[in-house]
Amino acid sequence: MTESKDPAKPKGRSKKVKEGVKGVLYGMAAHGHVTAALRTRMYLEHLFMFITLGDMLGVPVIPPYYSLRILPYAVPNIKSWKQRVFRERDFTDQVF
Amino acid sequence: MADFLGTPFLWVVATIVLYGIAYWGYGKWIDRRVWRSDAKRTTPAHMYMDGVEYFPVSRYVLWGYQFKSVAALGPILGPFIGIKFGWLPALIWIIGGNFFIGWLQDYGAMMLSVRKEGRSFGPITYEFTGAKGRTNLLAFVLFYLIIISAAFIALIAVFWSKYPGTFIATVGIIFAGVLCGQLLYRVKMNVFAVTGIGLALVVLSIWIGVYTSAQWPSSFPTVLPLGDWTVPAWALLAVLILYAAAVLPTPLFVQPTNYLAFYPAYAAIILLFVAIACGAISGWHSLVSSSSSSKQLDIETDALPVGGGAMLSEGLLALVSLIAYMVLAPSFFAQGNYPSWVEGAIVLTSPFLGGRAAAGATLTVFFGLVLVIYALTVQALVTRFFRLVSAETWSEGRFRVFGNKHVATVVGLGIPWAFAVSGSWWALWLYFGGSNQLLAGLAIMLITIHLAKVRAPTRYSLIPAVFMIITTLAALAWQVYFFTKAVVDYLNGSSTGIFGNVRAPINKAPYALVALGINAVFVVIGAVLFLVGLSMAIRLFRSYLSSKAEARVKAPAAADGGTRER
Repeated sequence: MTESKDPAKPKGRSKKVKEGVKGVLYGMAAHGHVTAALRTRMYLEHLFMFITLGDMLGVPVIPPYYSLRILPYAVPNIKSWKQRVFRERDFTDQVF
Repeated sequence: MADFLGTPFLWVVATIVLYGIAYWGYGKWIDRRVWRSDAKRTTPAHMYMDGVEYFPVSRYVLWGYQFKSVAALGPILGPFIGIKFGWLPALIWIIGGNFFIGWLQDYGAMMLSVRKEGRSFGPITYEFTGAKGRTNLLAFVLFYLIIISAAFIALIAVFWSKYPGTFIATVGIIFAGVLCGQLLYRVKMNVFAVTGIGLALVVLSIWIGVYTSAQWPSSFPTVLPLGDWTVPAWALLAVLILYAAAVLPTPLFVQPTNYLAFYPAYAAIILLFVAIACGAISGWHSLVSSSSSSKQLDIETDALPVGGGAMLSEGLLALVSLIAYMVLAPSFFAQGNYPSWVEGAIVLTSPFLGGRAAAGATLTVFFGLVLVIYALTVQALVTRFFRLVSAETWSEGRFRVFGNKHVATVVGLGIPWAFAVSGSWWALWLYFGGSNQLLAGLAIMLITIHLAKVRAPTRYSLIPAVFMIITTLAALAWQVYFFTKAVVDYLNGSSTGIFGNVRAPINKAPYALVALGINAVFVVIGAVLFLVGLSMAIRLFRSYLSSKAEARVKAPAAADGGTRER
């Protein structure tokens, strides 16, 4: 019974340590790969948006009929797409 | 006293204590007084959150990532080069260099990038020194990458020829990596299952390496019976693998191979607690700090544990690496035997694994492989980066052919190959060390300029920056003089100098003209590195002076002598 007297504190700490160790291992083994995969997806999404909205940018890629049909899927991405495309990118951003 | 100084254990304790002071004392003080990091200020990760490049990540994850990224290979051999000058100076440099300069650079670069909206060093250089400064940086980085590549390719080739069986094991790991990539992305198998299969294949590769080197001790898969041409041929094989790594899509080759290669490398750490560390200071780190970690920092106060903490931990690993060399007899170094890290590692670990006779062959392949695979994976990234920088430099205009993917890769591997197989190890390493640490000095100078602009105290980074820039430029100049002297001596009839700077097979009389040419190229490369570095340093220093003057003019007559940084 003495153990359950103050269970919150030691449990919280051991949980914290566990999470910390898990985080460090994940960071060393996988974090870089996960961000690389996300980045690859980002470039594919750029392509998708460009194909869909190309007509409005003055670069007709596919007939407007099809871009109109795809438009509902593209609209939610417009804001983040704009943000990413307008971002200044340098060769030093690509080290890792 | 001599006994005390001769015991590595006490030095480890002393270093841990000093690094503790660097982190909790000096580090916290700089964090509060100079950068005034504030947990409440919005970081780029929150400001520009997009879930891809900018998103907040826990400090533990980011520490792991940063540590893995900065603890690269150079370094295993760094302490070895240092120990040539005696182990005490090497130790003092690992302690003092990191205490005053090393962590400050990694942490400062990260804070600078955080305060500059997560921008990396290219745009920051542009802001501080203008378009010419950025072009200057680009040129410097191109040469820097060529020198790194040459050093790494030479290293891979020498290890393959020195430790039979490591080549087969390396090829095995590459196949395992490609297979895992296919399983992961094509078959869409579970990550844990793929990792399990990959690790089994890694073990199998090491076993095959040991087996083939025992079975065929003198034919192809283990050794290349080419006499003096062995190392150039191995280097060519390395270059072919790297070419594939640089031009193929990352998910196909580089990414899964790097992922798998991570495991044997860290198994080596666990086995030995020796890693792979630069130890004191490396310019590459500032690129890492500002390139992606700064975009994912959750709160500003995490910069000290992530940036500074990772670097200090790396210093500890360098120390252990140094000890791996210290256990070897001095006669070992006399021959200029730089793969001795493997020897030291075996001496340290074999007693726990059944003795040298039982485990020696496996450990040789294992530790040799760890070094090769580390060099190979880092070099794959460096070659890709070279390709990107070339594309940036020659994107248009008359020379745009150099921006082409294949041309850039051939240039980025061909020139280093020529250096790797011709130049002596020392020549390559000293140029590499010089340019790497010069980049670190330039990075600290950028940090200082920012501090001057916001009227924070600058002397804690200005002094290290000036120290680094002057010493590295002097080292580069000395190297250039050294090669020039060899060439001049040859013209005066003595050819020992030029032969001393090149590697077999061209260090003999019939190849005198080739050796002379290589020496001349080293003179040119060194001179260019020196001049580009010098002009960058001058630009940065000018920018620093004008920022300082500007800040002084703008200073309000406030009672506290200034305002908080905006």
